[in-house]
Amino acid sequence: MQREVGTLPLAPALRARLAAAGFQTAQELLDTGPCGLSKEIGISREEALEALQVVRQECHGDAARPAGGSGATRKYTALELLEEEQSQGFIITFCSALDNILGGGVQLSKITEICGAPGVGKTQLCMQLAVDVQIPECFGGVAGEAVFIDTEGSFMVDRVVDIAAACVQHCHLIAEAQQEEDHREALETFSLENILSHIYYFRCRDYTELLAQVYLLPEFLSEHSKVRLVVIDGIAFPFRHDFEDLSLRTRLLNGLAQQLIIIANDHKSAVVLTNQMTTRFGQSQSTLVPALGESWGHAATVRLIFHWDNSQRLATLYKSPSQKESTIAYHITSHGFRDVQPPAVTHSPEGPELNPRKRPRAEEEQQ
Amino acid sequence: MVVLRAGLCPGLTEDMIQLLRANGIRTVVDFVSSDLEDVAQKCSLSYKALVAVRRVLLAQFSAFPANGADLYEELKSSTAILPTGSPSLDQLLDSGLYTGEVTELMGAPGSGKTQVCLGIAASVSLGLKQHVLFLDSTGGFTASRLYQMLRAQTEDEEEQASCFVLQLEALQRIQVVRVFNIYELLSALQELRDRLSQQVVSSMGPLKMVLLDSVSAVIYPLLGGRQSEGLALMMQLSRELKTLAREFSLAVVVTNQVTRDSSTGPLKPALGRSWSFVPSTRVLLESKEATWAKATPTQRAASLAKSPRQPTGIQVELDIG
Repeated sequence: MQREVGTLPLAPALRARLAAAGFQTAQELLDTGPCGLSKEIGISREEALEALQVVRQECHGDAARPAGGSGATRKYTALELLEEEQSQGFIITFCSALDNILGGGVQLSKITEICGAPGVGKTQLCMQLAVDVQIPECFGGVAGEAVFIDTEGSFMVDRVVDIAAACVQHCHLIAEAQQEEDHREALETFSLENILSHIYYFRCRDYTELLAQVYLLPEFLSEHSKVRLVVIDGIAFPFRHDFEDLSLRTRLLNGLAQQLIIIANDHKSAVVLTNQMTTRFGQSQSTLVPALGESWGHAATVRLIFHWDNSQRLATLYKSPSQKESTIAYHITSHGFRDVQPPAVTHSPEGPELNPRKRPRAEEEQQ
Repeated sequence: MVVLRAGLCPGLTEDMIQLLRANGIRTVVDFVSSDLEDVAQKCSLSYKALVAVRRVLLAQFSAFPANGADLYEELKSSTAILPTGSPSLDQLLDSGLYTGEVTELMGAPGSGKTQVCLGIAASVSLGLKQHVLFLDSTGGFTASRLYQMLRAQTEDEEEQASCFVLQLEALQRIQVVRVFNIYELLSALQELRDRLSQQVVSSMGPLKMVLLDSVSAVIYPLLGGRQSEGLALMMQLSRELKTLAREFSLAVVVTNQVTRDSSTGPLKPALGRSWSFVPSTRVLLESKEATWAKATPTQRAASLAKSPRQPTGIQVELDIG
C-alpha cells in the first residue's frame, strides 16, 4: 500500500512536519513505529500512536474493500444500480403533472431543491411531502417517516392536519373501491395521529444551529431507520442575513451539501430543500434567479423553480439527471397540493384589497 | 526527500545510517549530493561501499532522461482516441478523448455535464467494449438514464434478445464508486492504482476511462479562508489523476462548476488558477437561452476553452437528448 502521506486524513500541522522529516508513504510511517515517529518529528508518544492508528485504519480500509468491504463501501456496477433504482419507490406529490415531469415523484437518495418567490407554495409542497412519504406501500407510497427542519417558522400544524385528513380520506376511497385485504390492514395504522407522530420537527434559528442539526442527523437517522424524507424548509434564510464573509458562506454551504448527499445516500432518503429567489441585474433587464449564488446551484441534483404566470402557479423542472426540462401548472387547495382542475369552479369577484395573484378563500374553507 | 533507512538498498546498514546522521546526512538527496570522499573521511566508512550505495540509490530514485524519438514511438503505440458518442463533441475534441490526458467539462447547473459524462460512459462501454470507472461525488448518477442512452444506441440491432444482452454487458462494464469527500476520493484512486499495477484481471477488465463527476464538489469545502491544506490536497489530487492517466494510458474526464466574481461578472471556471493548469483540454457547456424557460430543452452549446491541438473558441451544438 504505497499511500502517500499527503493523502491521509491527518491534521495539517502534523502532515507538514511529516513532509519536512522526509516521510513519503504510509508504509514508512508504519515501519517506524510510534517511538521512532515521536523522536523524528518531535511530537508526544500519544499523538504518534493516534496518528499511526488513523494511518493503519486507512490502509487496512483500502485492503479490506476488495475483499467484500465494510458498510462504507460505495462501489457498484451500473447494472446493480439500475436494479436498485427500479425497485426504489418515489414520494408522490398528489399533483400528477408534477409527478410526471419528475419521473414518478420525488426520488429517494437524491437532493431536490425547490426555489420560488414568496407565497408560491414551497412550504405547502414540503408539508404535502411530509404527509405523502407515510402513505403505505399498498397505496403506492414508501411507508416512511419524515424529518422537518424549519428555519423560517412557517410550519403550521393545522395546515398539516388538513392535508393529512385529505390524504387519509383519499386512501379510504381507494380502499373502498378496490376492497383488498392489505388495504384495510394498512388503513388501520394510517390515521391522523399516526401521521402527525411520525413527522419529526426541528426548529433552527440561525445557521450554526442548522449546521449542528445536520451534523447530528446521521445519528438520529440510524435510530429512526424508517425515515425516508428530510425536509429543510428555508435553507437560504439563515445564510442570507448577517453574513459578512461570503467566501465562508460558500464553503459552509458546500460542506453542508456534501453532508446532505451522504445522508441521502446512506439512509436512502429523499432530501428536499427550499430556496428563495433573488434579483440579478443584467444589462437591460433584471431576472429572478435562485438565491445563494452560482455554486449552490450545483448542490442539488434536481431543481424545481416555482413561479407565477398572471394568476396561475407554474412549476418548471430546471435541472434533473434523468428528465427533460418542462413546465406544468399546479394548484393549492384546502386539501393540499393538487393538479389544476378544469375551470368549472366559479370564483367570487376579487375585492380591490386582496392580492390579485392569490385565489380568494371561500367562507367554508377558512379554519 | 526520502529518509535514509536500513534496508533501503543492500549495503546500507543501521550503523552506517547512524554515522551519516551524526554528520548531518539524513535523506537520499543529502547523500547523493555530498562529496563522498569527504564523507568517507568524516564518518570513517569505506569509499567503495559509499559509491556502491550511491549507485543503487540513484538507480532507484532518480528520473531517467528519455529520447524524444522514443517518447514519440511510445506515444504512438500507447495512446488511444476514444469517441465520445456524440459526433459534434468528437469534432470539438479533435476526434475524441485522448488517453494519457485529463479533459475537463465545465458548465453552470443544468448545462448537461452529467448527461455528457453518462453519454461518454455509454459509448465507451457499448461501442468499444472497454471498462469504465465512474466516480460520483454529487449523487447525480442515474442508472435508468444510462440505460435509456444504451437503449437508444442499440436501436439499430435487429434482434431484441441480442440488444438486451449487449445492454446488460455494457452496464456491467461500468463501475460506479460514490465518493463524497476528498479522502474517500483519494483512497478510491489509490485502490485503482494498486489494482492496475498488480494487473488483477478480475471483474475489472481492460480499463480505459475514468470519469469524475464532479471534482469541485469535493474540493470546494476545503478552499479559501485560513485553511492551507485545501490547495495542497487539490494539487495532490491533480497529481494522482495525471499520473494515473499517463502511466496506465487512461482517459480521465472531470467535471467542474463555474462561478462568478460578483453578481454581474462573467462566468469563469471554479477552483481557481492553480487548477486551470491541470486539465489539458477544457470544454465549456452552456444552454442556449439565458432564462430558465427554454424553448429547446435538449440543445446545448459546447465551446473549447483550452486545447493542446485545436484553436480555442470553436463552438458546436450538442444534443443531450
